[in-house]
Amino acid sequence: MVRILLRFSENIVEEPIISQIIIELKVPINIITAHVDSKGGEVLAEVPDEALKKVVKAFRKRGATVSIPKLIEIDSEKCVSCGACITLCPIEAITMDEDASVVFNQEKCLGSTCSACVDACPTRAIKSVKQNSSEVAANNAH
Amino acid sequence: MEALKLSSKKNKRTIEEINEKIRTGNVQVLTAEEMKKLVESSGVEVAFKEVDVVTTGTFGAMCSSGAIINVGHSDPPIKIQKAWINDVEVCHSGAAVDLYVGATVMSERQPFEYGGGHIIEDLVSGKEVELKAMAYGTDCYPRTQVKTNLTKDDLNQFYLLNFRNCYQRYNCAVNSRDETIYTYMGKLLPRLKNATFSGAGELNPLMNDPDYETIGMGTRIFLGGTQGYVIGEGTQHDPQNRFGTIMIRGDAKKMSPEFLRGASFTRYGTTLYVGLGIPIPILNEGLVKKTAIRDEEIFTNVVDYGVPRRDRPKLAKVSYKELKSGSITVGDRRIRVSSLSSLKTARKIAGTLKSWIENGEFFLTAPVERLPVDSVFKPMRQTEEVSFVANVMQKAVTCSETEAVQAIAERIVTRSVNHIVMVDGSGKLTGIVTSWDITRALAQGKTALADIVTRRVITAKPDEPLETASKRMAQHNISALPVIDNEKKVLGIVTAEDVSKLLGR
Repeated sequence: MVRILLRFSENIVEEPIISQIIIELKVPINIITAHVDSKGGEVLAEVPDEALKKVVKAFRKRGATVSIPKLIEIDSEKCVSCGACITLCPIEAITMDEDASVVFNQEKCLGSTCSACVDACPTRAIKSVKQNSSEVAANNAH
Repeated sequence: MEALKLSSKKNKRTIEEINEKIRTGNVQVLTAEEMKKLVESSGVEVAFKEVDVVTTGTFGAMCSSGAIINVGHSDPPIKIQKAWINDVEVCHSGAAVDLYVGATVMSERQPFEYGGGHIIEDLVSGKEVELKAMAYGTDCYPRTQVKTNLTKDDLNQFYLLNFRNCYQRYNCAVNSRDETIYTYMGKLLPRLKNATFSGAGELNPLMNDPDYETIGMGTRIFLGGTQGYVIGEGTQHDPQNRFGTIMIRGDAKKMSPEFLRGASFTRYGTTLYVGLGIPIPILNEGLVKKTAIRDEEIFTNVVDYGVPRRDRPKLAKVSYKELKSGSITVGDRRIRVSSLSSLKTARKIAGTLKSWIENGEFFLTAPVERLPVDSVFKPMRQTEEVSFVANVMQKAVTCSETEAVQAIAERIVTRSVNHIVMVDGSGKLTGIVTSWDITRALAQGKTALADIVTRRVITAKPDEPLETASKRMAQHNISALPVIDNEKKVLGIVTAEDVSKLLGR
């Protein structure tokens, strides 16, 4: 299972988006924590690894922001901005900006379930961040 | 006469004149990227008048790099026979205490993660490294073992001595196989899902002087953050195909880890990223035109690294402009492309070299001998035959999807094979059935072939070396590979039995 952090803006917070996606994709989505009020909502959920891509896509299609909290860490001292990682990212979360610096979009990153870029980095500047024990405990509780 | 002399003077400029301008602070320097813009906007004549030197730069993995170090004599002295620095074997091929640290030699404890390139970076950064050495002992060098810690300050000489650097341009790599491969061109996803390239294109040093008019033995260059020298052409120098290379030397004690980085290519090995820049003196208008070369005029081939042969298929021709844009087109497909070298650092090198020259800290040299322009890079002469899949494959025994398990079982017995290849009406591969599958089907009472056939088949190509096919069988723990062509048509089958027969011969 993979943890995803869902953010719903004020405009869409009243829509039953999670239920819709569960029914449409027939994927079990496990809600770990939820904080919802009139200003918006934030939900930490678990989805099966193999369904991650389509679930993330479905939430984004409906206007929710999806992120996997701090799953990748870039050592900027080690990174030489070669760009070897760019095309390995299945969701194009790594790009090269105008001055040829490599930029990581942490919001988009799928984290440890993907990690396709990690072993492609020649200077080993990319690290998959392990979940800390309290988070693991939270996951195991379900 | 006077007028003629004047005009000839106008059309030419000497290195001495440029150095005089550097001395007096009047030199005009542009980076190669700036030069191209100037020539485009103001033309060759103006650019020649205004520019004395164009600086270039590149920062990429250069495997044929290393450092020669002299560690001084121990007491009692040792004639080193074998030596390791931080568990990386270093080469001893001289008298007693000279060692060559090769960038691609890997650590015995952390292979693929730490190697010679990292030792060079660590030493350059001022870190302490551990030297272990052993010897057979002689009357004059009695010691047989030594272990000590060293920093660059403890070394007598620490010179970067790279025998092939700075390729003029390089291939763009893709992978046609069904699996991800890890190469010196990085991680290549299956079925042409990504591409990689290397090189700075229009910023590349040799590309800005492709006839090596100003580059050769003795050319002073930017190397690893300090001044170094070209000492000749590099190995595999291939000028006629625009794959020129250089051999270089520089004092590593003065270098900076920003421009000299140990690197690891997963499942390939370790290497060294080298930062290198060459100043091109603008001696005539011809050099203005040469340094005006743009990325769209520099082409390279898209090469299929999925084919493990010396001559790999070339699938397309692309320009460095396309490569730097992030995607290329092969046939009707758009493929995302990654750089392995750092354009950002290449730009920084060209900029740094420019400021050194402007500040009077760097003077140009004329080469005492130019790089060859007509030498040829030959393939290896091979006196022993190599086996390919086509040499050992046999006719495949086939079946169709509609057949019954019983019929397949009989075929396995009558033809005495262990593998039946399933094909469609046009002979294309659709699956494979083994005698083990049949045994299991009978035990479980299954009668339909469709229920037991393996549809994701691991295959081989006829022109593939037998060694890689055999490795693939071991990797997937299987005993045969159907041999197919590019259209998936079954040409035959190669079995582990056939391979061992040949190797045991």
